[in-house]
Amino acid sequence: MRNHLQNFGIAILTLGMLMSCSEELDFKQFDDVEATPTYEASILYLEAPENIINLVNTADNVISQNFNFDAFSSNIFAKRVIEGTITYVVENTTSKELEINIEFLDDNGNVTDTELFVIPSAPTATIEREIAYGPSGQSIDIITTLSTIRVTARNLGDNTSQSNLSDPMITVKSSGKFRVRLK
Amino acid sequence: MRISLLFLITLFGVSICGYAQNKQLLYDFTEIPQSININPGAEIDYQWFAGVPALSGVSFQAGSSGVSAYDLFANDGLDFNVKVRERLLNGMSTRDELSGTYQLELFNIGFRGKDQNIFYSMGIYHEGDAIGYWFQDYALLAIDGNADQLNRRFDLGDLKTRGEMMNVFHFGINKSIDRKLTLGVRAKVYSSIFDFNSTNNKGFFVTRPGSNNTFSSTLNADMRWRTSGINEIKRALDDGTLGNTIFKRGFFGGNLGVGIDLGFTYKFSNQTVLTGSLLDLGLIYHANDVENYTLVGDVTTEGVEVILPDALVNSNEDFWQNLVDDIEEIVPFENNFNSYITFRPTKLNASIRHNWGEPTLRAANCDCGPYATSSNRVEKFVNGVGAQLYMINRPRGPQTALTAFYMRRFGNFMAVKTTYTIDKFSYSNIGLGLNLQAGPVNLYLLADNLLAYRNIANTRYTSFQLGLNIISWGKN
Repeated sequence: MRNHLQNFGIAILTLGMLMSCSEELDFKQFDDVEATPTYEASILYLEAPENIINLVNTADNVISQNFNFDAFSSNIFAKRVIEGTITYVVENTTSKELEINIEFLDDNGNVTDTELFVIPSAPTATIEREIAYGPSGQSIDIITTLSTIRVTARNLGDNTSQSNLSDPMITVKSSGKFRVRLK
Repeated sequence: MRISLLFLITLFGVSICGYAQNKQLLYDFTEIPQSININPGAEIDYQWFAGVPALSGVSFQAGSSGVSAYDLFANDGLDFNVKVRERLLNGMSTRDELSGTYQLELFNIGFRGKDQNIFYSMGIYHEGDAIGYWFQDYALLAIDGNADQLNRRFDLGDLKTRGEMMNVFHFGINKSIDRKLTLGVRAKVYSSIFDFNSTNNKGFFVTRPGSNNTFSSTLNADMRWRTSGINEIKRALDDGTLGNTIFKRGFFGGNLGVGIDLGFTYKFSNQTVLTGSLLDLGLIYHANDVENYTLVGDVTTEGVEVILPDALVNSNEDFWQNLVDDIEEIVPFENNFNSYITFRPTKLNASIRHNWGEPTLRAANCDCGPYATSSNRVEKFVNGVGAQLYMINRPRGPQTALTAFYMRRFGNFMAVKTTYTIDKFSYSNIGLGLNLQAGPVNLYLLADNLLAYRNIANTRYTSFQLGLNIISWGKN
């Protein structure tokens, strides 16, 4: 009796399977999926009021500072980044012409990239510049090996004048917009 | 020998009866003993029954309210990335889900007590259940990123998922109060094997114009991921002791909970019947092998900020590392081992049925030969038609299904039930259930969403149930 029932059950299942159809699926298509999102965020913001600039009284009116920046060289980013841009916005509301030099350094202290901004005094002093990295720009290795950002500022004017604008200062904004490959 | 073998198999065997969460074919199909498991107040007329192993296999329910496997993986020559964008990113919402449930009956018997109005049933079944809602904003962040989407809030609450595996030990009492009313109650003990859930996440990630720098990025997170038994399962996988671990945790070696099922059948007349049941009104207390993860905090950053003259105080300051440390301190990703409680997904069933046609013969009236005994069989009509309501408590609120059904009985040896169900998975769900009774042997096969069998790959919902029982309507 049990055998008969088992056979009956198997027959029903087999019949059901024979009557059902399934069009061909190709799960290998998943290998083709691409996830290459683009992320953007601020990188570095520098602000120096004019009274501080006036206090810099070195021989060539130069002040320089290194900033550790490991965000791009971390594996989670460096191994995935494809291309991107860094956008700088330099604004000068002081009464003096200034020169800002931004250098990228790798782990060994080698300078891999340099951006020079010579920015006149207020009121027409805003520079916006976008630097591309990757296939359509400079080598993406500059980004993936970035370890230190060196900012050098040179006062091309005097050490006494003061702008009439409120809170005169030099500001450097920078942001990154990078496409990365998640899959 | 054959009887003892049958008994042992019945007690410890592998009678495989799989159920979908919504068991509209089985509900109120009282020819099948398992119907008492979804309405402890079902009107049943057996003297006793026992589930018997006969047909091995896997029975399950799986549903996706958004896309089918065919939608994505059909060999149609379309670019897969285009399909992902059109059918997932643009085609689904956070209310769409991917869910699956299975139950495996390990042991199930029932018998009438000395008081012939009371029927006892008991058993053990193994259950797995998981649901995950479409995590729209996480997918958008992963596929498109946050670029050029100023002020758009990516909702961290889109992560909403839960899953569990357990054994359920149950004991039910079904009492016929009078000719009109039957009530039932079932007590349950849950032995949780593992559990994970992350269902109450809140927060967002947004990029706005910065006040100093170009952008400000804000992460506001109140997220929790709770687990129990997962670590032990992972260790068992490494050690090759998975089977033992699942068995141990499933038989009171994991986390325990209690619950109750309630049900009734009320006859307005012989021909009009109202039923209802409330299942898995219960909870599980997780204290064994618990590990939880949290991400809680609110932080906004505009990158490394160097503002003179303050920054000159310490010329060797590592601004980048300070920024990382600050963020990790304000929004820490932490783990803890705090116990927690989960509530079972409670289910509500209700039906109203109208019967007509010739009543089937009572067993005692049949031509059964000289050894025929008295019977508890209730009068059943040849035809039945009605409607059913099903609701289940899910992380994004109750889900509902409406079913219209027609039932036809062919003597005492065969009954057929067909259903048409509307729910979030399908508007064209036609199911068919077949119950066969050959003497004491009961065989049933219930299959759902039959139209989908034309192309199973294109279905968004499928389930089937089958089982074999021994039933007696005679004396104990």
